[in-house]
Amino acid sequence: MTIHLQQVLPEYFDASRMDSSEVWGKDLQFQKGEYIKIVAPSGSGKSSLVSFLYGIRKEYNGSIRYDDAVIKNLSAEQLAQYRKNHISIVFQDLRLFPEQTVRDNIELKRQLNPFHPPEKIDEMAERLGIAPKLSSRCRICSYGEQQRVAIIRALMQPFDFLLLDEPFSHLDEKNSQKAMELMLEESRLRNAAIIFADLERIDYFPFTRLFHL
Amino acid sequence: MSLSFKPIRPLLQTSANAGSRWFSYVGLGIGVLLLLCSIQMYVNIQQLLGENASQKDGFDYISISKTITNETMGQLEKNLFHEEEIKELASQPFIDGVSPLLANNFRFQVSGGSLVPFVSDFFVESLDEEFIDTVPPGFTWQEGQTDVPVIIASDFLEIYNVFAPGYGLPQISEATATNLGLLFICYYPDGSREMFRGRIVALSDRINSIIVPKNFLDWANQRYGHRQEVRASRLYIKTRDANNPAFLDYLAQKQYKVNKDKTKFGRVKTILQGVFSGLGIFGLLVVVLALLLFSFYLQLMIARSKDNLQLLLTIGYSPQWLSNRVTRQFIPTYVLVVLFALACTQIMQWAFHQFVMPGRSELSSWTHWVVVVVALLLIGLSLFTNYRLVRKLLYNLY
Repeated sequence: MTIHLQQVLPEYFDASRMDSSEVWGKDLQFQKGEYIKIVAPSGSGKSSLVSFLYGIRKEYNGSIRYDDAVIKNLSAEQLAQYRKNHISIVFQDLRLFPEQTVRDNIELKRQLNPFHPPEKIDEMAERLGIAPKLSSRCRICSYGEQQRVAIIRALMQPFDFLLLDEPFSHLDEKNSQKAMELMLEESRLRNAAIIFADLERIDYFPFTRLFHL
Repeated sequence: MSLSFKPIRPLLQTSANAGSRWFSYVGLGIGVLLLLCSIQMYVNIQQLLGENASQKDGFDYISISKTITNETMGQLEKNLFHEEEIKELASQPFIDGVSPLLANNFRFQVSGGSLVPFVSDFFVESLDEEFIDTVPPGFTWQEGQTDVPVIIASDFLEIYNVFAPGYGLPQISEATATNLGLLFICYYPDGSREMFRGRIVALSDRINSIIVPKNFLDWANQRYGHRQEVRASRLYIKTRDANNPAFLDYLAQKQYKVNKDKTKFGRVKTILQGVFSGLGIFGLLVVVLALLLFSFYLQLMIARSKDNLQLLLTIGYSPQWLSNRVTRQFIPTYVLVVLFALACTQIMQWAFHQFVMPGRSELSSWTHWVVVVVALLLIGLSLFTNYRLVRKLLYNLY
């Protein structure tokens, strides 16, 4: 699968943004297997871009396509199919079910299109240091723990693209590194691309292309 | 491995406003019960009153004659049925058969013989056997035979028993009547006469006349009659439903007279069916209200579970699959409610047949198949409307 961006600019941004940005207003293509790093300070539209790519927001001009399919024209059912089979995400605001346990949160995604067996949940939780929290409700976990839950959840399905929106904002360096390693391993397993939007560059993400938003 | 709804169920706040959910179940139960009972009673009425005494093989047999008015009085031409009129009647879609009731065209007298000594001028008629409810085995006549079998209306016996005491004649029972030897006196135009022995072979509730075998009357009309052409003053009509408004309108328009008794069941039937139709419509209204109440409950439940449902859709759950599964949650209760109403209808029907209408073989102790089909349709309708609603609400969340 390939993602095409054509002259994309959020409706609420001034056209002058296109001059300074390497993404807004440009024609870009992201292929499977690439590691794309998007760096931008706060308020420059990182979360907007990730939401546009995932198809949950449509307030932009220009077009974004999954291969030949224009995202804005996809039906709810078609979008659900893409999210189930081709594109996974770690939201900046995590979006977990607060009243469900950590395991249930992850299982809800896993059962949708299982790429891994259920035991993989324990293994990944162990690696990221949240195994003791598997039976706890998400709302009583710390933000850092919840961030790791969101990361593991995103890795439970098959995908061609993994979208990351500041996934380590509440993690220390060591835990961030562990999580990144896991995500890289899982992406390699699927020959998938990672599109990683963050405030700054991090050394342990081996990007193949870098864009300033 | 198929996608499981089990981990999703706790995400739906089904306990929200559970009161209105239970109210809607109760409402649905009452509405469905009313509707099913009404349909069952409608069918019962159809079976009880639709097949009154005049019916044979699902047909009504009634006689019609022309209304004699002051203007047509005495004009035989206008009061008898012509061949064209009979043909026109037979061609009507609501009429399945027409047979003229042919009368004698000569002077005819009946005498009770020695047991019932009276003599009276009378009339006899003949009719195609197809139109007679039960043709007794002895109802045949051959030329040269002096015995003539006859079927008489049971009303005539009743009338006789009313006036007999006043004339010093004995009253007679049905059993005696059928053994009674009558004397038929047929007059030639010149006044000479011949006698036949009449033998009552059956009493009829349907035919308001004295019926002799057709070949006897044809022979007698030829032999004693003073007119060659025999025309009918009464016609017997075979129809699917003597109370069909189109049929009755046609007869009224042609100014044909119908035996009111034959259609009185129809009037009672219409009223009763009207009452039960009203009840059925009320039941349907209650069902609609119950479905409406349940739709409020669904809307509230989805509004309260909005965040969770929205997140499920965001992480890739198909709105169609979710709508399906959310709706399916309520299938067992819906099926149970409708089956309960169906069981109550069955008990009602059994009790109605056993205690209110015992011994009526035209009724069944079991509910009619239409009732079962309606119950199944109602389950389908409820599930479909719920599915549509949930689907719409979920797509709105997208």
